[in-house]
Parts: sequence; structure tokens; C-alpha cells
Amino acid sequence: MTSAEMPGNSPGAAPGETPGDPRGIAPAKALAWRSRAEFRQAQGVLLVLRDPPRPPPPTPGQPPTVPGNPAEGPEVLLALADDGQVVALAGHVDLGTGISTAYAQIVAEELDLPLHQVHLVLGDTGRAPNQGPTIASTSLQIHAQPLWLAAAQSRLWLVAQAAARWALPAGDLRTLDGAVLAPDGQSLAYSELVAGGHVELMLDAATPTKAPADYRVVGQSVPRQDLLAKVLAKDVYVHDLRLPGLLHGRVVRPPYAGLDAGDFVGRSLLSVDEASVAHLPGFKKLVVIGDFIGLVTEREEQAEAAMLALKAQWAPFTPTARLDDLAQAISANPSTARVVAQQGDVDSALAAAGDVDGNTHGKGARLDRDYVWPYQLHASIGPSCAVAQWFDEGSDDAQAGRRATVWAGTQNPHVLRADLAKLSGQADTAIDVVRLEAAGCYGRNGADDVAADALLLARAMGGGVPVRVQLTRAQEMAWEPKGAAQLMQVRGGLDAQGAPLAYDFATSYPSNGAPTLALLLTGTVPAVAQAFEMGDRTAVPPYAYPHQRITVNDMAPILRASWLRGVSALPNSFAHESYIDELASAAGVDPVAYRLRHLPDVRAAELLRATADKAGWKPHTTPQAQPVEGPQGEWLTGQGVAYARYVHSRFPGFGAAWAAWVADVAVHRDTGEVQVRRVVVGHDAGLMVNPAGVLQQVHGNVLQTTSRALKERLPIDPNTQTPQAREFGAYPILSFREVPTVEVLLMPRPGEPALGAGESASVPGTAAIANAIFDATGVRFRQPPFTPEVVRAAIKPLATLAGGSGPGGQAGASGDSPLGADATPLPLPTLRAAHPLQRPRRWWALAGALSGALVTGLAGLLVGAWGGRPAMAPVVGADAAGLYRPEVVERGRQLAALGNCISCHTAADGPPGAGGRPVVTPFGTVYTTNLTPDVPTGLGAWSFSAFARALREGVSRQGQHLYPAFPYTAFALTSDADAQALYAYLMAQPAVVRATPPADMGFPYNQRALLGLWKAVYMPAQATDLAADQAPVQAPVQAPEQAPEQAAGSRPAIDAAAMAPGAMPEARSAQWQRGAYLVNGVGHCGACHTPRDALGGEKLRTAYLGGAMVNGWEAPALGALSRSALPWTETSLLAYLRHGAHASHGVAGGPMAEVVRGLAQVAEVDVRAIAHYLVSLQPADPDRSPASPEALVARAAAGRGALLGPSQRLFESACGACHHDGDGPKLLGLNQPLALNNNLHSARPDNLVRTLLEGINDPAFVRIGHMPGFAHVLDDQQVSALAAWMRLRFAPDQPPWPALPEVVAKLRASPSTR
Amino acid sequence: MSEPRLVLQVNGSSHSLAVSPRAPLLAVLRNDLGCNGPKYGCGLGECGACTVLVDGLAARACVMPVGAVLGREVTTLDGLAKNGVLHPVQRAFVAAQAAQCGYCLNGMLMATVALLAANPQPSDLQIRNALQHNLCRCGTHLEILAAVRLAGEMLAAETLAPESLAGPAPVDQALAAGQRADGAKARAP
Repeated sequence: MTSAEMPGNSPGAAPGETPGDPRGIAPAKALAWRSRAEFRQAQGVLLVLRDPPRPPPPTPGQPPTVPGNPAEGPEVLLALADDGQVVALAGHVDLGTGISTAYAQIVAEELDLPLHQVHLVLGDTGRAPNQGPTIASTSLQIHAQPLWLAAAQSRLWLVAQAAARWALPAGDLRTLDGAVLAPDGQSLAYSELVAGGHVELMLDAATPTKAPADYRVVGQSVPRQDLLAKVLAKDVYVHDLRLPGLLHGRVVRPPYAGLDAGDFVGRSLLSVDEASVAHLPGFKKLVVIGDFIGLVTEREEQAEAAMLALKAQWAPFTPTARLDDLAQAISANPSTARVVAQQGDVDSALAAAGDVDGNTHGKGARLDRDYVWPYQLHASIGPSCAVAQWFDEGSDDAQAGRRATVWAGTQNPHVLRADLAKLSGQADTAIDVVRLEAAGCYGRNGADDVAADALLLARAMGGGVPVRVQLTRAQEMAWEPKGAAQLMQVRGGLDAQGAPLAYDFATSYPSNGAPTLALLLTGTVPAVAQAFEMGDRTAVPPYAYPHQRITVNDMAPILRASWLRGVSALPNSFAHESYIDELASAAGVDPVAYRLRHLPDVRAAELLRATADKAGWKPHTTPQAQPVEGPQGEWLTGQGVAYARYVHSRFPGFGAAWAAWVADVAVHRDTGEVQVRRVVVGHDAGLMVNPAGVLQQVHGNVLQTTSRALKERLPIDPNTQTPQAREFGAYPILSFREVPTVEVLLMPRPGEPALGAGESASVPGTAAIANAIFDATGVRFRQPPFTPEVVRAAIKPLATLAGGSGPGGQAGASGDSPLGADATPLPLPTLRAAHPLQRPRRWWALAGALSGALVTGLAGLLVGAWGGRPAMAPVVGADAAGLYRPEVVERGRQLAALGNCISCHTAADGPPGAGGRPVVTPFGTVYTTNLTPDVPTGLGAWSFSAFARALREGVSRQGQHLYPAFPYTAFALTSDADAQALYAYLMAQPAVVRATPPADMGFPYNQRALLGLWKAVYMPAQATDLAADQAPVQAPVQAPEQAPEQAAGSRPAIDAAAMAPGAMPEARSAQWQRGAYLVNGVGHCGACHTPRDALGGEKLRTAYLGGAMVNGWEAPALGALSRSALPWTETSLLAYLRHGAHASHGVAGGPMAEVVRGLAQVAEVDVRAIAHYLVSLQPADPDRSPASPEALVARAAAGRGALLGPSQRLFESACGACHHDGDGPKLLGLNQPLALNNNLHSARPDNLVRTLLEGINDPAFVRIGHMPGFAHVLDDQQVSALAAWMRLRFAPDQPPWPALPEVVAKLRASPSTR
Repeated sequence: MSEPRLVLQVNGSSHSLAVSPRAPLLAVLRNDLGCNGPKYGCGLGECGACTVLVDGLAARACVMPVGAVLGREVTTLDGLAKNGVLHPVQRAFVAAQAAQCGYCLNGMLMATVALLAANPQPSDLQIRNALQHNLCRCGTHLEILAAVRLAGEMLAAETLAPESLAGPAPVDQALAAGQRADGAKARAP
């Protein structure tokens, strides 16, 4: 059996804290009863039951309901046990709205109990009543009714019991704080009255409840019951359920993200390669059913890794419809017109009004308008999660009729149970859905989907093993049932007096029931699009139009969709309230006055007046041109109003609370940015059970609506016509800086019935904001969201703005050049310079000869001339460690670190220095060798001479030429003393047995003998001499005072004498000489930073340190050609090399990170010498302005207003937490100005793009910080747009990068290794 | 393959774990150490639900490997209350009723603790900047802003007069108001 206990070892528990209730009070005993049967078998309890309501007749056009199952017997509504505690049960669940607190208040009120003695069980199918999905603001208005009655009925029973015991008339008794009181002062606690018995009352709908005037708990503001457990990080959420033996699951979704109808759904999986994951650590099971794929592993991160690693082949699919133009897509979607309300003669009235927008004086005016609502997301903060257990046939649980338990954050527990039963072929009673809290949901997110996923994986595991499935952020966003797009079309107009003439309203809402995903993916139910009659919520406007026709075009879904807060009512009201505002404006009447003139609902008018008064509404008849703000008056301010009563559920539906908004906005004249500054919202919900709770819900709805109005539109991938948002950067939501002041007016209506509260407040919001923007700008916006680029395009021509993007477009996505710069490809710079140490021979002729030789078959002759070298005798039993002084070994350690020896000679997860790391070259792959002193596989049998020859000449002990992936062309410069030190250090390391894998080179490169010829061309002459003679003194071949432009790109002369400690400086300082020696020798900087020719040799003559591509990263030009925003200085370069980052240049990423890690182990004097030498290569640049870092950052930031748009929002939301100019959080890790980052200023986007795709998983030092890769959540177009935008924003002086999408595609296809 | 053991300092205790240093800190805190505070929200450092303190600085546990916190002190929401006494920031969030679903609450609390440690008297804009990248979907921003201001006042008061204002255990105060502190779930039939 499953234990509900949490595993121990929790560091969460503060010392001395006892689990459970800190007061030491035992939890309510009825909470332990897990099923209806247990309630009904319990002793010492009073139960209130009801028979499951008879299923309602099927309602065509509505999603099917799931009625209670009579086989389960009566439903338990309330249990009062002999511990004096009450457990109340309800079918609606708390989605963060605080409904459990309000329910507790109701029960405490009617039972006269202290609030803390009431506990709620919400949604569990095994014990809570079936009250359908938690939707449509009905939890208090309708579904609280059984609780009111059950509590009142319990109280009457308790009073009757006491009356009988005391032989007093019941009418003389009263109840208080959990006891019945007699007039003489004696009392009987409820616990005493129920002790020892088992009483069941059937709910009596005629039970009298208290008069509102007698309420003591209801109507009072009380704190949320759930909050303390949440701030204490208790195991509140389904995500926190960690059962013993828990396994972790992930699903892999098909490519047709967010589509749930069509032939391809459930039938697109061609193959799955289990071998791609079966070897991964912790792997337990792969489950494939139709298009459903799930994985089970021991640990969560293993499941994540397996999910990413799994190889699956999918058939291509045909998108349902093009969604670029939503109005067009919805219009083209087949529909059935349903006229739900009609009065007067709309057609005749409109015919008399003349042409649309015709100025027909005396005859009125036609005004036809279309309003379009976008697809939007729930965007719950926590992706959905569920845990399931499956009990095998024959197990004790199965014998008891229980096959599965599923813990879920579902909003629809009983509907979900029916789906799970269907999915598994079991009876619904065999499945227990336990509802736990989850991240806020405002309709229907992935909670049901993941519950079904968990069931399938738990069934595959069997044996009651609990499996937890966590959807990823990307899966949640791609697949959650969307809030549907909607098209509202109004034909209407004004009569000659400016009164509304007629209102011909047609609304089209492509929603559906969004079948639980696993049912579709497994083929359990057909993936057929079904049209439901759900577009009619609040379809009838509140205004008295003399002629009116309301048509609802019922249609099947386009994208997988379901209800989202406000359902179709919110878009419908957006149209109603925008249109009435347009009429008022056309009639030349104040918008509030015009509404009041035509608003017959007295309670509505009262609310609207009160709200306008509270807001300080200034009556006006034209856009107000309210005082502008800002130094240049760039902020235009405006005020807008809207009103709605949310009418929900099946037409004609129920009216929930009334709500009115007055919004104050400011619109930036140039950038188009809209700020909602203040919202005054009036709300009339009748009786408010918990006014504080209502206030909080109103706040929440105001802010969420503001977010939807200003920011939210599901982006669509133009190639697949599927949702493109897989993280918050592509679907940003309201942030703290955007939060307006909110003033709430709660109408006191204690005598009126309680109505659905909160959600109503969202309904008029978008129109109020649109109307306020009109007031500020004189422009109407009829399609949210009102993003800067949309507003900017409408109020100001784009052409005058720098860096703008069109409405809905992606800034810079196409590589356009809004700054007017040419989009010319900039290849890596090539230098015309010479390598001073090169043999003074016509080396290119030799290279040509080599190529020719290869072609003409002369290779053999050449091999004879240049091929192998003699083997050197092995050293047996050498104990080099003991031969060298510790300071020599230490010097060797530093040199090895400087040369990155150990890091390069270590395989991923391999022992240090034991080799095996693949080095991928254009000619094939070689593996680094084992440098440890193991005799058979390492250097154990190598004499110093053999080691020195390998180091400086690239020849193995056995006499084979080594591939120049081992940078012996640089190591050739190593002095004897340093070679000895290196040898000493390596020999002092522990021996590790590890054979080096053979090189995998293609012909002819697998002919090692040819390398002799290669060396003849590429080995520096002096270096070879140096190695041969072991004489470190070297005459400069080129004068140091050469022309600057040559010095800039060619390797200067090195005075090897100066390399030795204590040597006298000659033409250059000793520090410079030391730096040169280290850079060009052991440091082998050129191996990465000097480009190579076709045969893999460094172009030392022509492009010394001129920048190159290494392992898919750009090793930037050092010195003269550095494109950094600020020139390198010795100080900044030293800091960068020591710490892996510098504020004026950025972070050492890619392969440079491990170089920096090595340099950290080197004496600072040597690193400073390196910096000194490299900086000396930089000539003074007279064109470079001596700007301060601050000035450069400020200059880049100055242009950001013009760059507002989707890419800016992507950056702010995806990157902004860590990367900001000081106006964001201080988080662990560095936040260095991107305006100074070298990668943003480079001629190539590679390093930026690679970092965006792959992140920084292995920074040089942890203090730098880690960065996630975005390859799995951003597509090529998004990454291109982001990179283009970052270039514009942070390197405004640089030209746009050309061909970004191609670069992104290429880099994505070739991820960097290690 | 058995992993070498890592030693982590979390909420004042030392823990030795056989996990890969590359495992996400968030997964280790939640699954190996049983912390409920840090939450998975995006896995990309965008939403802040996973926020923990590392050496007192706010950090996004979903984007850092556990190996990055070796030798550092990690504090999670689970460890904020000491000896049953709520941290002033927790107290302020209860007093301001600053949660709806509460899934983002961990990040809001931990970001606030970090903010107030660095800047005991932040301006309204500084508070908004500090929380700018902690996302809340329910729209609890107003209550959260009020809670941060209140927390600043509470901390300032405690600094001025630590003994007189420490007061009774706030868990008891909250309970007196009818709140429950039990997680009250983990429900198995």
C-alpha cells in the first residue's frame, strides 16, 4: 500500500518543527476517510448526503456532461465528526481563487463553528460530489448551494438532538462556536452530540438558511486558508507529491503541436528508436501507443535527458488552416449561423442609414466594424504535472475494485475520471482521481492531459509503482487548449439624432471540448473537429438597440482550444464596448453619458455612474488631447470606459457580477508603447462571502486582462501554422513594471444573492483600454493586443523610425537594415602579413607539389624522403617523479595549465590527462593521447628525449609523425627547461590505464608518413633548429620596428634569450618577450586564433592571430583586428584571462572557457606577459573614439525605444532576468553590459547564435554563472530575430549580420562538442 | 554507474548525495532533499519560480547544475522559517495575502529576501525592478508589492528593536486567524 508520508531527510523542516499542525491539534479525523464508503462506515459522525443529481438531458451543441454514477451511492456533502471538526466536500476546486476559504466561511456560518474547524475536500472523485467542471464563475453562485443547505440542516439536527436531551423546545436553543446553548447556560458541544453514533441526513432543499442580517462569518473579510502552508513550502501542490519508489516520466509530443483534429492526429508516428535511449542511465521504460510516446526513468533529470535524446520519425502533416490573418481564417472556417436574439427590423433600419461611414446628414450614418480576438494562452506558471499508480489484475487493490489512483491538478475531476476510464478500458469507479492544487489555471490547461499521460506510464510500469509526469514549459504552451481566437462583426449605425439605429452582431468562435490529449494520440477517440455552441456567452449587448440581431456562428476548432477566463464573453464584450464608444464618438456625446442614455439595467447604470465618479471621469465628446507628459510631451494620455455583465453558461445563461472599468493610459507618440497607468473598476457581485477574496480576485482579473490586452497573442509558426510559443519570451505576460494602480469599488449588496465574482471584472477591460488609447490618440484599435509596433504603425508612419518592425512582424528578422547600413557579408578578416619565423623558401610551391604528388601518385616517393623517424628506446621503470625538484614539477604544472594540456587530454567524464578526447578536424577525427605515466598506454615508457621530440617535432616515441591537431608547430618553441618541467610534471601524475582510440582519418590523411612533408612546409625553421640544438637563443629575423600595419598582423620577432628568467631585454622588454614566447609557444594561441589553410596549417604569414573558426566557435582576432567596442588594454585582457570575463568585453565562452580555467593556475606574471604581448599587437586606432564604457552602454540604450516589438519582448522575457542595464534583479552570476560584449560587435554572429542555442553549461568559473540553451524552445526564425535585434540594440554602429537564418540553421545542425 | 558523492549545504545542514554534478540544482533540491519551495516553471530562468538563495544572492535553480553550488550555502523557502517562527518576509506575505494559486510565491518570497538584504529600503521602482522577472499569472502583483513594502518595514522595525518587536510566533498568530499550516494533502486512498 502506498504511504502518504513524505520521505525524510527534508532540509525544509526547521529544527524543532513538528510535522502537521504546529499547535499540536490532530487533523480532522474525517480528512482521513478516503472514500464515500469510509465516510459511511465511520462511527461518531453526522453526515449529510445527497443522491447524485439526475443527469440533465443531453444538450446539443454543448460538450457532453459526466453525470454522477448511481452505483457509487449517495454523495457526501458534509461530515461532522466527534472531534468537533467538519469536513465539507464540494466538486468545484480551488484554482487559486480562494474558493475553499469562501466555502469554509459558508459552512462555519450556517453551522456556527469557528472557521478553523472547517476543512474542505474539493474534487476528489472518491469522496467529493460530482459538480462538473470548475468553470464559468459558478462555484459560489450555484455550486455552493448544497453546502449552505447541508450546514444549515446539520445545525438544525444538532439543535433538535440537544432539545431532546434537555427536553426543551428547540426554538429556545441557540448555537455558538460549535456548541448548542440552552437559555439556562448549559451547553452541549457538537462533538458530544455526534459521539457514538452514525447519522445520515439526506439533503433537504427546503432547509431554511440564515437571513443575511444574521451573518457573522459570511460577508467578513477573512484570510485565505491556504496561504500559511504555501509560505511555509508545505507539500501543497501535485508537483510536490513524492511517494516512496516514485519514478519519473516525460512525454514526447508529436510535431503537430496544438492541433487535435485531422487525419494525421494519432497516426503520424513512423518509428521510434528505443536504442537511442535504452542505454541512458536510469532508463526504465519506453511506452508507445499510436502517437503517444512516454518515457520512465529513475530520476527526473534522466527523464528529461531521455526525452531530448529519443529519436522518433514522424510523417509530415498538413496544417488545418493558415492563421496569419485570423479574421480570414475564422471567416473561412465552416460554420452554422444561429440567431439567438432578434428584435425589430435590422435590415430595413440599416438600409435607411445609407452607406457605411457615409456622411448622410439628416438620415443618420452607417458604422460597420470588425473586431478580432487573438489566440491566447493560459500560460500557467507551473507546467502541468500528475502522479499515477496502476494496480495489476489480481492485486489486492484490483480485487477491491480499484485499478488506478491518479493525483492531478485538474479543473474537472469527474470529467477527467471518465476520460481515464475510457483511456484504460476500466469502469470509472475503478479509477480514483485525487485532486491536488496546481499552478493557477483559468479554464483548462494541460492538467488533464498530463493526468492521462501519467496513467498510461503507470500502467506500463504496473505493480502500483507511482509514476510522476511533468510536462515541460514548451509542451504546456504548445499543447494546452488555447483561449480561442474570435471574430466579431457589427453592422449598425446612428440615426439622425445620434441614437443607435440598429445592432447586427455576428460572432464566430472556433472553440471545442478539447478532448484529453492521450485519448486522441492513442486513437481511443477519433480526432474529429466538433463544433460546440459556446460563442454565445454575453453575445447580447447590454444596450437598448431598437433593432437588434445577434448571430452566433458555431464552428469547429482551428487550433486545439477550450475555455479561457471570460470564454467568448470577453471578446464579445470587447466588441460591444468598443462599438458603443465609437457610436458615442460619432454622435458627439460623452462616452459615459451615451452609455447611460441607452443602458436599461438600473443596477448597471448605478455601477457605471459610481465607477466614473470614483475615477474622476471628465465628460468629453472628442478625443481629449489630455495634457501630454514627458520632456518633449511624448506621452499622450487618455481615459476610457467600458461596462459589462458577464453572462455565462449555455445560452441564455446566467448573469454573474456586473463590472465597469475606467482606464487611464499613456501612449508614447514615437514608440507606440501603451502604459496602463490606473484602472478604476467597479464590481457588483451581490453578497460577497469574503470581500477580501473578491477584492483580490478583482485585482487579479484586472491585471490579467491588462496583460492580455497589451501583450498577448499566440505567435504562429509561418511554416507549420502551429503555435510558436514554447516559453515566455514568445508569449510574454505582464511584468511588475507594467502593473497599474488599481482602485476597486465593491458595491455593497449584502441582501442580494452571491454572484460569480472576479472573472466578471476581466470582461470589460480590453475595451476600456482600447477606448482610452482612442482618447489619447484619436485612433481606434479593434484587434488586441495593443503592442507598441501595432500602435506605432497606426499613429505614426514607420518609415520615420529607426529599427522598427511592422505590426506582428519580427524586428530585424529578415536581416533588414533599418539603420540604413548595407547588409554586406563580412568574412573573417584576412591579413597581408608574414610569419617571421617561416622558412625563407617558396613554401607554396611545396604545397602545390604536395597536392600534385597526391594526385599523380608520387606520394610514395615523397614518403620515402620525408616519412618516418626512428623509434626511441622505451624507458622501463622510470620514476621520473623522484628525479625532479618540486619547483620543477610545479613549473611544469603551470606550463601544462597554460598549454591546456590536461584539459585537452581528458575525455568527457574520463580521468584527467588520460586522453581520449576527440578532436574533430576537416580531415577526420583524432583522439588525444594518454599523458599519464602508464607504461603500456601512456607516457610511462617515454624518455625525456622522446617526450621532447614529440613536443617539439611532432614525432611519437615509436617514430610516427603525429597529427598537427597536437600543436607542435607552436610547442616547437618550448625551451629545454620548460620541456623538462612539463615532462617532470606529467611523470609525477598517477598512472591511468587507458588506451587511445585510433585516429579516424580519411585517405590520404590517414597516411601518417605524409605528415613529414606537411611539417617541411609548416614547421617553423628556427623552432626545428631550436628543438634540434636545444639552444634557446634565437636571432630575430625581422626588425621589431617594422611598419605598424605589418606588425598588426604578423608574428613579431622573438628574442628567445629573453624568455629565460633574468635575461636582458633587447629591442623589446623582457615582459614582451616572455609574452611572445608563451603566446606562440606553449600557449599555442594561434592554434585557435590563426586561420588555417586548406592543408590545416596556420596562416602565420598572412593572418597571424587574425581570427578563425574552431569547433563551430569564432576564435576572434586578437590585437589589431579585434572588433570589440572598447579596445583591449593590458589590464582588461589580464582580467579576462584570469577570471574568464571582463565587463568591457564579455565572458570567455565556448572552448575559451577551459583555456581560462587553465590560465587561472598559472602565475599572474606570466598571464600578464601574455596580455602585454597581445595588447602590443594592437596599433593605435585614430578612428576609435575614446568613449567610456558607461557612455557606450548609454549610447546603445538610447535607441531602444525605437526597437520595441516582438524581438524586444522576446529578449526582455527570455534574457532580461540576467541581462539588463541595471533595471532588473541582481541575480547570482555576472550581468555584463551586452553593449560592450565582443560577440555582439563581431563580424560574425556565430558566437552569439551558438550561445543562444547552447547556453553556457560549463563556464570558466561558476561565479560567471550558467545560461540555459534555447535550442529546444526557439526555432530558427526566433533565434535569427533575437540575434538581429540584439545586434541593433547593443551594437548599433555595426552593420546587421547577413544571412542569419542560414547561420542559425547551420549551427543548430552542428552542435559544438564539449 | 555510481556517481561520486557531492556535499551540499542546504538550509544550514550538510547533505552528501550521490548525484551527477551536472544534475539541475532544482531537481536535486526537490527530489533528493525533499524541498517543496523551489518550483519548476520554465527551466530557462525566465519566470523565477525556482528561485533559491546561493550565498544570499537570488539564483535560478533551474538553470544551474548542482555542481555550481559546492562550497556555497543554499537557502530555500523551506528553510526560511526558523524554529517555527516565520521570516519577516513570510509574515509580510501572509499579512498582505500575497498569493492566489501561490505557485510563483516561492520566487516572490526569495527574491524579496535577497532584495531586502541588499537594499533594506527599496523604492517602489526598485521593488518592481527586482521582481520584474518573477512572473505571476494570477495577477497578484498588487498584493505582492504591498507585501514587499511591508516586509521592508518589518525588517526595519526588527533591526531597530529586535526584542520588543520579534513578538510571538507568527505561525500562531496566523492560526488564530483560522489558517492552517498543514500541507494537508499527499492523499492516498
